[in-house]
Amino acid sequence: MNRLLILIGKIIVGVLRLLGRNAGNLPGIILWHLTKGRCCKMFHTDCPIIAVTGTNGKTSVTNCIAQLFEQSGKKIIINKEGNNLDTGICSLLLRHCDGSGKVDADYLILETDESHVPVVYSQLKLETLVVLNFFRDQLDRNGEMETLIQKINGFCKTFEGNLILNGDDPNTARLGRANPENKKVKYFHAKPYAFATDKIFEASEGRFCPFCGEPLEYEYYQYSHIGRFRCKKCGFGDYEPYVTAEDIDLEKPVFTADGHEYTPKLNSIYNIYNMTAVASAAKLYGIDQSVTDSVINNYTINNGRMESFMLKDRHTTLNLAKNPVGANMTLRVMNEMKGEKELLFVLNDNVADGLDVSWIWDINFSIFERVTRVVTSGTRAYDIAVRIKCSGYDPEKIVVRPDLDEAVEELARTEGRKFVIANYTAVQPTRSALKRYITKHGGEHSEEN
Amino acid sequence: MKKIKVLHMYADMLDLYGDSGNMEVIRYRCAKRGIECEVDTYSVDSEKPDFTSYDMIYIGGGADLEQQHISADLLKCREGIRAAYEGGTFLFLICGGYQLMGKYYRDADGNDIPGLELFDYYTVAPSSRRKRCIGNIVLRTEITGVPIEVVGFENHGGQTQGIKTPLGEVLYGNGNCSKSRYEGYFEKNVIATYMHGPCLSKNPELSDYMIGYCINRGADEMQELEPLDDTLEKECRKVMLDRLLTK
Repeated sequence: MNRLLILIGKIIVGVLRLLGRNAGNLPGIILWHLTKGRCCKMFHTDCPIIAVTGTNGKTSVTNCIAQLFEQSGKKIIINKEGNNLDTGICSLLLRHCDGSGKVDADYLILETDESHVPVVYSQLKLETLVVLNFFRDQLDRNGEMETLIQKINGFCKTFEGNLILNGDDPNTARLGRANPENKKVKYFHAKPYAFATDKIFEASEGRFCPFCGEPLEYEYYQYSHIGRFRCKKCGFGDYEPYVTAEDIDLEKPVFTADGHEYTPKLNSIYNIYNMTAVASAAKLYGIDQSVTDSVINNYTINNGRMESFMLKDRHTTLNLAKNPVGANMTLRVMNEMKGEKELLFVLNDNVADGLDVSWIWDINFSIFERVTRVVTSGTRAYDIAVRIKCSGYDPEKIVVRPDLDEAVEELARTEGRKFVIANYTAVQPTRSALKRYITKHGGEHSEEN
Repeated sequence: MKKIKVLHMYADMLDLYGDSGNMEVIRYRCAKRGIECEVDTYSVDSEKPDFTSYDMIYIGGGADLEQQHISADLLKCREGIRAAYEGGTFLFLICGGYQLMGKYYRDADGNDIPGLELFDYYTVAPSSRRKRCIGNIVLRTEITGVPIEVVGFENHGGQTQGIKTPLGEVLYGNGNCSKSRYEGYFEKNVIATYMHGPCLSKNPELSDYMIGYCINRGADEMQELEPLDDTLEKECRKVMLDRLLTK
């Protein structure tokens, strides 16, 4: 039966290839139906599997961990961001297995959607699970955070492999208590950076101890609810860190993890946490220090830079704009494009974005040409709307949709060429929303960036 | 056609957190009402203009370094600015512009940068450069006669003291000093504040207070400003008020 299913899957992959389509998700979806939802079960993976999950940073950390092994000369298989559900992972394995379902690699490194961790790893044997953080993303529709954590917690109750947890996020650190028998729980932690605060900056999850309900006491907050916390009643938060990041200076940027100095390319506290997770994985697998240096010091993001999507038949270009310079460049490209077009601008004001959004006033919107409509979204959707209005653009043509899915629906409602600009923390949620639209209504997304 | 003349000082050096956007907002709100708004700029070593010929003088904020750069030049404008202020010119001052109109600004190393001493407040920066008041800020002000809540973004090390007539009461954020009760400085022809954002982007009442002041200055008959559609601005502010004040 297994062989037959794999044969079917491989034929689908082959046909899609012949048609010039990449076999992202579709083979997995078909097999999911054929196997009644157990589409990963038919594979034999003798090699260790490392999974990375969490709200933010999955793609970065997965890529870096994959690099650790690749640069150590190992044969790895990794899923491209976006194919992180059971069906995506099934499609990936179909492409890499033989006729009996045996997957040939030294390591499988799999970015895994939070809600799919229990589904996938009840079917495939997991060696190491890395959990980065859990945030309630106001633009995310995953539903109740607590439900999600409970699901993963349920999985962790019987999980006996390595568990690498963000020890500064009570939402993830609590998973360390799920299975008291598991001695392979490891926490990573970061000492306060220059902008750490005594008080919390943003409303968020995890203010109370999940075990006894006491308010958690924080020594400091790095961002959102991430920081050094402790429950004075039950001692939740008392752990010996496996890897500690310290001497963090984002201006250079430089930091020390486990006593070794790194000079990363990205200067956000998010990146420091991600790279500390990477350093923890490197330590666990005994990766050569020179390889870890090379990975952590060279990692940079290139997603969301002039990336193409088809929303049904509407050609859409997504671009990241962290600052006025980037935004002005994008506007210029958009202006130079012939014919009429519409713009979606997604503006967030999370810590990594710089908290305040006044930089948008340094973007020159008065150069708009043949822009027939503007949709705005994000946590500061109205700020960008006011900004564009005051540049002299007709407010009647501005539509504010703070919810990202609604914004994408609104953008794609009309025909023609579309542009999307999103700032730093808005890029990934925007990509996800564009992909959700495509899943729902059809279209295409090219994986190559 | 009515006209107001604005002098934007040091626009090239003092422009933190969208401060220049304030001029864009003033221009926009004038244009919508058919009021001509002429904005001249002045910077270090430009020829000294006739300050009294302006209805409004606007100075934004800058980093410590820029502030030191302009302070010597600003002192040379002291008499001109004083004469304009006494003659009823409106002074709109953000952050550094606000500080330098007081007695002095004492920096983190204890050096005094002299102010224009137009007002008798003074500012002292904490010795630790890391101690700054940063974040969103909400004030309740009654300058228009009715209490309104205004929203901005503050980022200052300097602690300003000796204020008797603040712009408003702090509902969220820091204000003139860390965790202080009041923010800014106010007279009928002065709004001085730490609020960036830019300050006027979400607070149309402040813009209209100043525009109204400028067009009615010296007039025999008070003219009401034509109301504008501020739906987006008010919604924008409401989002922030809901987020910051309902905890």
